[in-house]
Amino acid sequence: MAKDLSSFLSLVKEQGELKTVSKRIQPAKFEVTGLMENLNRAKKYPAVLFNAPDNVYGQPSGIRLVSNIFANRERCALAFDMKPEDCKMPLSLEYARREKLHTPTVQIKGPAPVQEVVSTGKDIDVGKLPIAIHHEMDFGPVLTMALCLRDPDTGTYDISFAKCFYKDKPDYMGVSIHTPHLQRILRKYTAMNKPAPIIAILGHHPAFYLGSLALIPFERDDYEAVGGFLGEPLRLAPSVTWGDDFMVPADAEVIIEGEILPGVKEIVDPFGEVTRHYQPQCIRQGMQVTAVTRRQEAIMEDIFAGHEGHWNLGAIPKEGSVYNVIKEKMGNVTGVCMPHSGIGRLVCYVSIKKINDGQAKQAATLALNESWTFQTVVVVDDYIDVFNEQDVIWAMNTMVDFKKDVTYIENIGRTVFTTAMGYSKLIIDATRPMDKPFPAMIKVPDDAVASMQPVEWLD
Amino acid sequence: MDRVFWVECPECHKRYFCEYGIRFEDINLVCPFCKKEFKVDESPWIDDRG
Repeated sequence: MAKDLSSFLSLVKEQGELKTVSKRIQPAKFEVTGLMENLNRAKKYPAVLFNAPDNVYGQPSGIRLVSNIFANRERCALAFDMKPEDCKMPLSLEYARREKLHTPTVQIKGPAPVQEVVSTGKDIDVGKLPIAIHHEMDFGPVLTMALCLRDPDTGTYDISFAKCFYKDKPDYMGVSIHTPHLQRILRKYTAMNKPAPIIAILGHHPAFYLGSLALIPFERDDYEAVGGFLGEPLRLAPSVTWGDDFMVPADAEVIIEGEILPGVKEIVDPFGEVTRHYQPQCIRQGMQVTAVTRRQEAIMEDIFAGHEGHWNLGAIPKEGSVYNVIKEKMGNVTGVCMPHSGIGRLVCYVSIKKINDGQAKQAATLALNESWTFQTVVVVDDYIDVFNEQDVIWAMNTMVDFKKDVTYIENIGRTVFTTAMGYSKLIIDATRPMDKPFPAMIKVPDDAVASMQPVEWLD
Repeated sequence: MDRVFWVECPECHKRYFCEYGIRFEDINLVCPFCKKEFKVDESPWIDDRG
């Protein structure tokens, strides 16, 4: 059996991490995100499967909806068949290992699961999907999963997360493409004044989505890359609209096929984004929908934007890459973490076993070059656990001489994120100074900690 | 950060914000709260401080 969302949810259920909602619920009236927000405030992050969500019209959709798949790192580790306790640096390093794999795709023989139910022509109605509205200033119901375009020159596929906005029309949606690779492909179609074939992939195994976020070169095929993350070749099928000219993931849950129309501009946003700010209203692309295909028992997937799952999707794919690039150049990196306080994108904590004082900034610049999303890089000593943010902030508060250890770089790079820093970057060297005598960090002897176990001593 | 400006919907009078790049475009904004379409200049209140 090929890996898919249902097989993964069975694993999650075995772990006791899957909650279900059997009552009828209206995603387009904030009922999904209202519940998710309550769980979030209680610091509970189960995957939640809604068995009876309404469609946009307030009628039973007949399609289940799942949210919060990526909301904790333990579940992301499970997606790679790893143990929950390996969900920090080991998970990120495993991600970096899989990132280098090329796994050729296979074309399935026979009907694709995702094409068990096919709507074309006048049967298309995207409003029949259980599309959620997430936050109160949002433009309306928004699909939050991945889009895929095919490069017209090389034939390679690129998958990236991007939003599709319901526009009160059955066969037309607003699309907000802002990731560099999708934009680059779209520009090629625009230059040719041709419609760009595009698909929205609304549900698949989580390794598929984690893999789609790999920092791989533009020329590489994302379908092949995703196979490396799944641990098996990605199964493909000809699309309903374009046949063999555009292949689709056969084991997805729901796929919308469509075309980005050249020259057509559409009002989209606001949308509560990963930064926890709304993205401002703007003009982006419009998509003419040509087909909606799905499994008979489809489970559509949604990301609770601006929350833990959204942040993990940014962090895990980058931590391993940063670790590897610093290890290759310097050899003494011991940990990399992109904390939720930095939305899994803006802030990077790096720990190194420092040999001389210049190394912290050297490691930070290597990290900055690895991802355009980084805004601040903080470097600490190896005895600081970068996944323990309290310890990192402690190092910043006790080790940093703000006159010499903070480096502000103006007008470097560009980010789509709406933060006050804009196009600037910050490096903070929070390692213990070596150029002068400096106090040591307090420590209870290891053997005392090992021998004085509470379970043996407390009444 | 990219500049934004705030507008007020002439219909429901709720406020939201837009990319500054569309500040002087001849297009209809769409109120996210009531779906009223309106030009920027029809907004009874604008905050476009630079």
